[in-house]
Amino acid sequence: MNIRILFIVLVVSLLTACCSTGTTVVLIPDANGKVGQVDVTTASGTMMLSKDKESTQALNANQAPSRSVVLSDSKIHDMFADTLAKEPTPPAHFRFYFSSGSAELLADSNEELAKTKTAIEARKSCDLSIIGHADRVGDNETNRGISIKRAETVAKTLIGMGSARECMEDIRYYGENDPAIPTADNVDEPRNRRVEVEIR
Amino acid sequence: MFLRVKFFVQSPICFALFGVLLLFSPMSMASERIGLVKTYEPVATAIRQGAEVNLQVGAEIFEGDTIVTNSDGAVGIIFSDGAVLTLGPSGKLIVEDFLFKPAEQSVSFISRVVKGSVAFMSGAIGRISPGSVQFKTPTATLGLRGTKILINVD
Repeated sequence: MNIRILFIVLVVSLLTACCSTGTTVVLIPDANGKVGQVDVTTASGTMMLSKDKESTQALNANQAPSRSVVLSDSKIHDMFADTLAKEPTPPAHFRFYFSSGSAELLADSNEELAKTKTAIEARKSCDLSIIGHADRVGDNETNRGISIKRAETVAKTLIGMGSARECMEDIRYYGENDPAIPTADNVDEPRNRRVEVEIR
Repeated sequence: MFLRVKFFVQSPICFALFGVLLLFSPMSMASERIGLVKTYEPVATAIRQGAEVNLQVGAEIFEGDTIVTNSDGAVGIIFSDGAVLTLGPSGKLIVEDFLFKPAEQSVSFISRVVKGSVAFMSGAIGRISPGSVQFKTPTATLGLRGTKILINVD
């Protein structure tokens, strides 16, 4: 009787061991070549990946992730070629800058406008977001107001150049919450007074 | 009379009416789209509120969608925060939580990979709030800090 129970336990544990759903994670550089960081956590531990092509496996939820290894290009290709072959072109980004407290485009914006228009046409994209940002001079409410006005200025200018209005429904504002250059409050930082156009 | 009904059912007007009904159905009013399909290899579908929806280039993705690919299928999606996600063949992924309200500083992006391979590059959510982008798999939880990763679950 005991032997039979032991046998069943053995078979069940072998079955779960053979068919457990393992997870493999590989860190790779993003579209700008930057390598970030990822934490892989199970009930028994965490493995942090921070190097190009660094990889870990979590074979079991109750077992800590494996020690990390750096994978070869051919190994990554073997595992992910089908997926990587269907990756969409990453979004393109363009930036426009403004004077303090102003929603008027700076005089030297024409080149960036032309590049933006070319990128919209090259991608045949009807999926744009136009996002206004402010620096941290003045209160939050004022900065929200000025950042949405800046976004509208860029949208209107692109529409004036022949881009389709219906593709620009995502016009929004972040106020001072997503600075390009983080600063203390009330700092006049020209690089944060901007509109970012994302073409997807 | 019967013939007339049959004629109406097959007429373009009926299709148009049906389309208008679909547009204003509670399902499509419930939430705004969170992403668009950019690349597509048949067959890939989305299971949305219990119904299976065929995907194609330009199809909309909503929070809560379960994306499924068959052994030849693949689908590439760009989300409204600029994140790029590709699901390879024989895959299943659920977009469990997608919140993108940067002006109110409330953002979150949690997906579950049930099986298959995923390539993912984070967007504005990962930049504004590192740690808000997470993937769950049957064995692990992944916390991303502004990066690109490959995930395989088998």
